[in-house]
Amino acid sequence: MSRNDGKKDSSASTFRKIDVDQYSDNNFREEDADGGIGGPTGPDENEILTLLSQGKNAEALISVLRSAPLGCKNQQVKDNARNLTLKVLLSIKSTQIDDCLGQLDRDLLDVLMKYIYRGFEIPTEGSSSHLLTWHEKVYNISGVGSIVRAFADSKRA
Amino acid sequence: MSGTLKPYLAAVRRTLTAAMCLENFSSQIVEKHNKPEVEVRASKELLLTPILISRNDKEKVLIESSINSMRISIAVKQADDLEKLLCHNFTRFMTMRAEHFIILRRKPIEGYDISFLITNIHVEQMYKHKIVDFVIYFMEEIDREISEMKLSMNARARICAEEFLKRF
Amino acid sequence: MTEVHNLGVDAISCHAWNKDRKEVAICPNNNEIQVYKRTSSGWKLLQNLQEHDMHVMGIDWAPNTNRIVTCSADKNAYVWTQEGDGKWNPAWVLLRINRAATCVKWSPLENKFAVGSGGRVIAVCYFVSENNWWQCKHIKRPLRSTVTTVDWHPDNKVLVAGSTDYKVRVFSAFISDMEDAPGNGPWGHSNTLGTLLAEFQNTPNGGGWIHSVVFSPCGNKICWVAHNSSICIADATKGNAVIRLYTEHLPFLNCVWMGSNSIVAVGHSCMPMLYSIDDNGQLYFVSKLDNTQKKEAAGLSAMRKFQSLDRQARTDTNDNALDSIHQNTINCVRKVSNNEFSTSGLDGQLVVWDLKLLENSIAGLKIA
Repeated sequence: MSRNDGKKDSSASTFRKIDVDQYSDNNFREEDADGGIGGPTGPDENEILTLLSQGKNAEALISVLRSAPLGCKNQQVKDNARNLTLKVLLSIKSTQIDDCLGQLDRDLLDVLMKYIYRGFEIPTEGSSSHLLTWHEKVYNISGVGSIVRAFADSKRA
Repeated sequence: MSGTLKPYLAAVRRTLTAAMCLENFSSQIVEKHNKPEVEVRASKELLLTPILISRNDKEKVLIESSINSMRISIAVKQADDLEKLLCHNFTRFMTMRAEHFIILRRKPIEGYDISFLITNIHVEQMYKHKIVDFVIYFMEEIDREISEMKLSMNARARICAEEFLKRF
Repeated sequence: MTEVHNLGVDAISCHAWNKDRKEVAICPNNNEIQVYKRTSSGWKLLQNLQEHDMHVMGIDWAPNTNRIVTCSADKNAYVWTQEGDGKWNPAWVLLRINRAATCVKWSPLENKFAVGSGGRVIAVCYFVSENNWWQCKHIKRPLRSTVTTVDWHPDNKVLVAGSTDYKVRVFSAFISDMEDAPGNGPWGHSNTLGTLLAEFQNTPNGGGWIHSVVFSPCGNKICWVAHNSSICIADATKGNAVIRLYTEHLPFLNCVWMGSNSIVAVGHSCMPMLYSIDDNGQLYFVSKLDNTQKKEAAGLSAMRKFQSLDRQARTDTNDNALDSIHQNTINCVRKVSNNEFSTSGLDGQLVVWDLKLLENSIAGLKIA
C-alpha cells in the first residue's frame, strides 16, 4: 500500500550520478578559435623531404617550425608533424646545430623546444642523445623561459 | 651510453626548475579545501602540459605540473629480471615509508617505477634548487645502488653454490 | 642602500605599508596579520590581528583613511580600523562568495575595495553608512576560472582583473548608489557594474595563468605578468594594442609601475627585474636589480670545489645559498616612494630597494 501504487517508476536513479557541475555555463572552455578545422594543417612532407635531400637543413627546420600545427585539434596531424620535425632534427649534425639556431627567432625557438620534448616521447636508436644536445643548445640561447612556455602554452606541439 | 648521463641529468634539472614554480592555490571545486591540483586533475586550465625526457627507450622521466603541485615519475633502467626484482623491492621499501620521505608518492604512476609529489608547501619549507638537487642525486644513486645490490647478490649466490657443491 | 629586514618569520605571503611607511602589515603565511612599527632599535610588533580561520591571501592598507582590508581562504574579508588607543578593530564584510578569496585592493579614493575569488567572481564592496556595514556587489560574467589579481584605475570607476582562464579583463566598477557618473577614461565607461570594457588573451599560443595585473599611474596602460614567463602591456590609447615580451627567466608573480614607463617585476627567479617602455612603445629588459655575489666561504674554497667534484661529480660548488638577497620566490612587491619599492618572499625577508642608488651601482641602468 505504498503511496505510489505502482504509478511512478522510481527505480531509475542514473540521474543521481550525473555530474551537474560539468554542464555549468560558467565553466572554463578551451578557446575554440576556428574549431580546429581551419587551423594550420602542418608542414608539407614532400617539401621538407626535398629540402633535406638537398642538404638545406636549416631551411627545412625553419619551414617545419613555421608550419607547426600548434592550434590543430587533430592528434594525427600533430603526430605527423612531430615525426617530420624529429626527422629534420635528427638529420642535422651536432656541428651544424649552432648555425641553424642562429637563424631562428625567439618564437621559433619556443616551438623548437616543444618539439624537442615531443621527440623524447618516441625514442629510437640514438635519437634521445641527439635531442639532449639540441635541448642544451636551445637552453643556452633562450634560457629557462622556453621550457616554462613548453609547459604553460595550451597550444601544444 | 654513459656519455648521455650528464646531458640527461642537466636536461631534467632545467625542466624541474621550470616546473617547480608553484604557489598556494585554494580549491575552486570544494570550498575551504586546498588540494594538489596535479592529483585532483578536475580543472583542465590549472594543469600544465606533461613533459617527457628520455635517455633511451628504457629510462625516462615524466614531469607533470600544475599551479600548486608537480609530479615527477622516474622509470629506472632494468636490464634483466634480477634488476627488475631488485628495483621493485627497493622502491617498495621506500614507498612504504613515504611519509618520512616527505616528497615521495606512495604509488608510482602507471608505467614508471617511482614518483615524487612536490607541493607549494614543500617549496615554502625547502629551497627549490635543493629539492631539484635531491631528485637529480636520487636518479644518479638509484642506478648505482641497484648495480651494487646485483653485484653483491651474485657474489653471495656464487659462494652459496660453491659451498653446496663442495659436498659432491 | 638596499635594506634587508628580517622580521623573524619563515615566509611572508603578502605585505602592505601605511602612509608614512613607518608601519607595515605582513602575513607570515598563516591566518594572522602582524603589524610592525619601525623604531630606532628595529621592528616592534604592534599587534597580531587574528580573525581569519584560514590562510590570509591578501592585505591592502589604505594610506589616507588608514584602514586595512584583508581577505582569506575562509571566504571572508575584514576591514580593520584603528581606534584612539592604536588598537585595530575588525569589521566583518559579507562577501557572499562561495570559494576562497584570493586578492584584495582598495580603490584610489578608498571608498570601495575589490576582492577576487576562486568562485569565478569579483566582489566589489562599498560602505553603506545607514546600516554601518560594507555592502557588496558581484561581477560574474564572463569570468571562467579563479580570479588571481585585481587592480583599480586611478579614476576609481574601472577595474582590471586577471584570472587562471588565461585572460585579463577590464570591467566597469561604477556603483550608481554612491557615485555620480561613470568616468571618461580611454577604456570606456558604463552605468552598470560589471560591464566588460576590454578583454585580452594572455598569449596567442594559449595558456599562462595571469599572476598580476596593474594599471599605469596615468591609467591608460595595463601591465600583466603571466605564467608563460611573459610580461605584457596593453594601451587603451592605442586601440587596446598589446605588446608582449617573452622573457628567459622563470615566471613573474607580481609587478609594479615605477614611473610611467618603468616596471619592476618579481617572481620565481628570486630577484627583481626592471623593464622599460622605449619611445617606440616597445617593451625591453633593462636590468636585474640584484647584483649580490654569493658569499665565498672563508678560504678553502678550492678544497671544497675539489671535494665536491670528487664525491658528487659536481663541477660547481652548490652551496645552500642562492646568488641573491631573496633566497626563495618573491611573491609581493609594493611601491614605497617614487624611487623605492619593497619586496617580500617565501624566505621571510622584507627588502626595500632604492632605484636611485641602484642606478649608480649598476652600469647601464637608467630609469625611464
